[in-house]
Amino acid sequence: MILHILNRSPSSSLVYREALASMGPEDRLLLVEDGVQGALVSQARHFEVISGRLFALREDLVAHGLDGHCDASVQVVDVDGFVALTEEADKTVSWF
Amino acid sequence: MQAANVPDGDVLVILRHPPHGSSWLREGLDAALVAAAFGQAVSLLFQGDGVLALLKGQGQGPLGQKGTSATLDMLAMYDIESLFLDATSLARLGLSTDSLQLPAIPLEPPSIAALIAGHRLVLTF
Amino acid sequence: MPSTGVDRYLWVGGHRIALDPEGYLVELDDWTPAVASAMAVEEGRELTDEHWEVLMVLRDFYARYEASPAMRPLVKAVGQSLGSEKGRSLHLMRLFPESPAKVAARLAGLPKPANCL
Repeated sequence: MILHILNRSPSSSLVYREALASMGPEDRLLLVEDGVQGALVSQARHFEVISGRLFALREDLVAHGLDGHCDASVQVVDVDGFVALTEEADKTVSWF
Repeated sequence: MQAANVPDGDVLVILRHPPHGSSWLREGLDAALVAAAFGQAVSLLFQGDGVLALLKGQGQGPLGQKGTSATLDMLAMYDIESLFLDATSLARLGLSTDSLQLPAIPLEPPSIAALIAGHRLVLTF
Repeated sequence: MPSTGVDRYLWVGGHRIALDPEGYLVELDDWTPAVASAMAVEEGRELTDEHWEVLMVLRDFYARYEASPAMRPLVKAVGQSLGSEKGRSLHLMRLFPESPAKVAARLAGLPKPANCL
């Protein structure tokens, strides 16, 4: 499993498409920084193809005031959860 | 879709930015050259607007800024010959491999994932 | 290439040649074989035909790729131009002891190799 990390919003950057195209069937995607906008109910559809493997960082959601606006398909993790995801991964790939 | 045969290697550099406009492409190519100079097996993946870096006929910037086409030609001297591009990115730009300076192999998504999985270190630029 | 500052000058045939702190040319266009010879004399080196042919390979490399090669591509370029007998790091180490990629680039009037040990 490879952990992909995305820090751009799908409404302002198309890099999410490359991230999705580069993911294997077991890989996970973590939204951080502006990337957490992708967790919004209106945006999460962009990540339908990786349903169940989409994560968002709680601290960034809170900072953006988006905590509570997340789509149900998004798994919210805190920094400890981020560390755990990293430990479970063979490697990480950043998309920015 | 089946994954095509892609090589394993030490370092995969993903180039997502076009020539000029920013230094991302040059920095990514420099990282690849350094790794190769140290004997690492390096592969390149051109993705998104990065596929534009492969186009024939690139030149200097209007103020004489160095282009990247000479550096692309130099990759072979560093034994960097494992070159790939995201086929979807190229198609979205309405371009085909006929327009490219180097024989990068177009990959579909399952093969891109296999390429990433097969390299110890993946650097995105 | 933007050049670094001038550290000192070398006088060659009545011309003043600016060198940077590491002895590389500040203006790449200043290079002539006489400049290379003067740089070599200053460093206590004698340039034989075997040295000159490597310097020419380097100048061709730079003209084509707009960069100075690290050791591995230098070995490859020398092998391609001068044959596999000479395309070996041992040969280059003998001609340009210490660091062939850096020393030979300096004498050939190229910038310092960027991605070099």
